[in-house]
Order: sequence, then C-alpha cells, then structure tokens
Amino acid sequence: MSAKVSQPPARLRCCGDGVIQEILPVLPGGVRRLVSDLPPFIREKIEEIRIRQGRPLILGLSSGDHFLSSKAQLTDRSQEAYQITPNDMEHLIQLISGSSLYALEEELRNGFITLPGGHRAGITGKAVLDGGKVRTLKYLSGCNIRISREIKGAATGILPCLLDRSRGIYHTILISPPRCGKTTMLRDLVRQLSDGVEGLGFPGINVGLVDERSEIAGCYKGIPQRDVGVRTDVLDGCPKAEGMMMLIRSMAPGVIAADEIGRREDVEAIEEMLNAGVKVLVTAHGSSPAELALRPALGHLIRAKWIERFVILGRSRGVGTVEDIIDGKSMRSLGVK
Amino acid sequence: MLKLVGAVLVVAASGLCGLSVAGNYSRRPRELRTLRSALQMLETEVAYGATHLPEALKQVAGNSDRLAGPFFSQAAAELSSPSGITAAKAWENALNHYYPGTALKPQDLSILRSLGSSLGKSDRKDQVKHLHLAMEQIENSIAIAEEEAARNVKLWSYLGFLFGLTTVLVIY
Repeated sequence: MSAKVSQPPARLRCCGDGVIQEILPVLPGGVRRLVSDLPPFIREKIEEIRIRQGRPLILGLSSGDHFLSSKAQLTDRSQEAYQITPNDMEHLIQLISGSSLYALEEELRNGFITLPGGHRAGITGKAVLDGGKVRTLKYLSGCNIRISREIKGAATGILPCLLDRSRGIYHTILISPPRCGKTTMLRDLVRQLSDGVEGLGFPGINVGLVDERSEIAGCYKGIPQRDVGVRTDVLDGCPKAEGMMMLIRSMAPGVIAADEIGRREDVEAIEEMLNAGVKVLVTAHGSSPAELALRPALGHLIRAKWIERFVILGRSRGVGTVEDIIDGKSMRSLGVK
Repeated sequence: MLKLVGAVLVVAASGLCGLSVAGNYSRRPRELRTLRSALQMLETEVAYGATHLPEALKQVAGNSDRLAGPFFSQAAAELSSPSGITAAKAWENALNHYYPGTALKPQDLSILRSLGSSLGKSDRKDQVKHLHLAMEQIENSIAIAEEEAARNVKLWSYLGFLFGLTTVLVIY
C-alpha cells in the first residue's frame, strides 16, 4: 500500500529542491539513492529524515510521517520499508560529522550536529557520563535530520502587529511546539527588520542575532549562508545568555534575536536587555502564554508582563500557520490577518 | 666503432637500472620520515586544535614537503568534495593515486591503509592512539629501510655497471 501525497498547489512549491540537494551528501549511499529517486514534489515536502539502526527509514513530510520503501516509494507499512543497516549508520555518522567526530565533542554532548546550510541532525546513542553529567555519546544509533527552509516573506503577515506607533518593535516571543516553523519565522522577521519594510515605512534596524545552534543564519566559518538582512550581526555558535550580553556591549543592536530560550540564564540575560532598552525577539517551545507562565524560568518573564507580543504558531493550516497574536499587556488576541 | 657504441649503451643501460634500484632503497626511508612527521602534524591538529579533518589534512599538506604534501592535499580535496565520501574512502583514493610514484613497499601501504580506516571515526583520545600506532609502525619501517639502504644502495650502484661490463665481455 502506497501512501498518498497530493501534489501541492504551485504557490506552495516555493522552497525548491535545492534544500534537499544540500542534505544528500550527508546521507549514506542507500538512503541517498532512495531520497534522490523520489519525485521532486515529495522531496520538497520533506521536513525530517529519521534514520534508526535496524529500523525502517521514515520521512517526516508536511502531510505526516511515512516509511520509505526500497523502491523509493512512500508507504504506511513498516514491513515494506527500507531497513537501516549498521553500515548505513556508520556512514551516516561519518558524513554528518565530516569525518571529524573527535572535533564534535561539544555537539555530541548537546545531542545534535549542525549541518552546512543550518540543517540540524539530532543524534542518540549511549551517553557516557562523567561526574553525573553527559560527557559524550557513543554507539550512535539514531539520527533525525531536520531540514531547515528559508521562506522569504513568511513574517510579512505578522509584522504590522509587531511594530509599534513610533516604528519600533515590541518585545516579542514566538511560541509553538516543535516543527511548526518558529525558526523559519524568526529568520524572516530578523531579515525584514534588518532590511526595513518599505510598505510599512519601517527603515530597518540593527539586529543582533545570537545563533547558538547555527540554525537561523546557517553560518559557515562565521559568514551567514541564509539571508538574515543587511543590518544583522550574527554571533554564531555562542551560548544565548553570554551572546546577548556580548552583543549589547559590542554592537549596540536595536533588537536582539535568539532561538529557543528557556534556561534561567537566558531569562536573566533577556531581563538585562529589557532594562537596557534593547528590544527582544525570541522563540520558545510551548503552545500558549499561559503554558509558558508555568515554566520555572520563563514564568517570571511572562508574569511581569514584560513581553508585549506573543505570536502563536501551529500547523492547523500547514507548517508555520499563525494561530494567534496576543497583546502581552491586556492578554487579548489581536486577531490573525 | 658501432660495437663500441653498443657496448657503451649496454653498460649505461644496466648501470642506470642499478642506480634506479639503489635510488629506491635510499628514497624509502626519506619518504617514510616525511610521512611520519606529517602524521605528527596531523596528531597536533586533531588532539590540540580539534580541527575538522579536511581542514587538518589541508594544513598538513601545506606544511609538508613535496614528498607527502600532494598525498595529504589530495585526501583533503576528496574529503571536501560535495559528493559526500567518508574519510576512509578519501584516504584510500589519495593513497592509490600517490603510492605508485613512491618507493614505499606494500607493508608501508598497509600501515597507512589501516590508519585511514579509523580516521575521524572516534573521539580525540582514540584518534591519537591510532595515529601513535601508525607512527610507531612507520618508525620500525624506517629502521628496517635504513638498514636495507645501507646494505643495498652501494651494492646496486655498482652491480648495475658491473653487470653491464660482464655482458659486454661475454658478448665479445
């Protein structure tokens, strides 16, 4: 039984096939052949490639998860799926690490490796502990390659709600569960704020971007590979809290942007930004401001009503759907255009 | 006159053959020493610099002489190619390309091959161990090669010419 994936309307086929071409070199031979044999309209919809040793190959598409058979066809029956061999796994690890596993101890400790182009390969295996803390991973046996897509204009619809009367930007948090397009939205917001938005009379502002996981700007040797705007300074691979403090001291940004905040030190750094008069644009895992308020570190930030706009993303009408925009002071919905 | 020219040619040809064999004996320890110091550089890059392998190979190529430089630079180029190949494959390809032009013996090649198969696959400590093992084995090969060179270089240098002269004498 083959899974049915309908051909998307032309307007959604915007990201092109090039993104998958960036991923193909890190896939082991067998998997590479299968993925490259898929029809382009399916390849364009791939969001994740899940590779687990001894188990079936799974593709996460925008329409849901499917197994990939040895004949390069999508299927919902695991028996028909291509099984990942130990050899595939070994090749995959070598390819995603650029044959430099020894240089990626910090990445293994965090459980993911950032690939060229800002794609992320999450890794699981057996944790090696040192004094109760994870030192590294060994017997690597599972990998999830998450494909990052640049969608220019993704944030156009929400920008009017995020700019205030004096043409500054509100302190904003983008909230969503994983795989709902937070990073893509953040990247486009950064780009538009940095370049300026002619239609809204917004001239552009210096943006300091702390890209801890190299996912937003996809830097290669410090140079952004994604378009993050002409006035954006990127601090690549730097811990968020430290990076925000460094940027505020060194680059005088008007806005500081960072992805996936949640740790106590991140929140402390954000408070510093707020007190220094710098606008904050961040993302967090969650589904609503109420839920964020319950989180130990973030809760304080929400309860103090420092955040002026909550943008809630979901998948109800596809990845990156803006479900709601909430005013942080009144906690009322501003409606979605 | 023609006979004389023929005799000179025979002596020259066999003399050159002898010199070439002698040359191989004296080149091998030199090449092994160059490889050893290149691996030492690679170890520094891996252990202290945590440099990614393609970059580390490039650095080593830049700092090595013309004996080992081309090998490391080809391995680096293969590994950085967008086709996505593993370090073992890149190393093997470079070795196959480099080996025929050298005085290395199959046993030297197998040391390098076995190092290649473990390159970049494990943590720093383990990589250093593999590099040390290869360097130690090369060290042993150098000792043997030097002994062979001391024994054979002079021998073959003379032997070629002597063989040529004997041939000439037998023919006349």
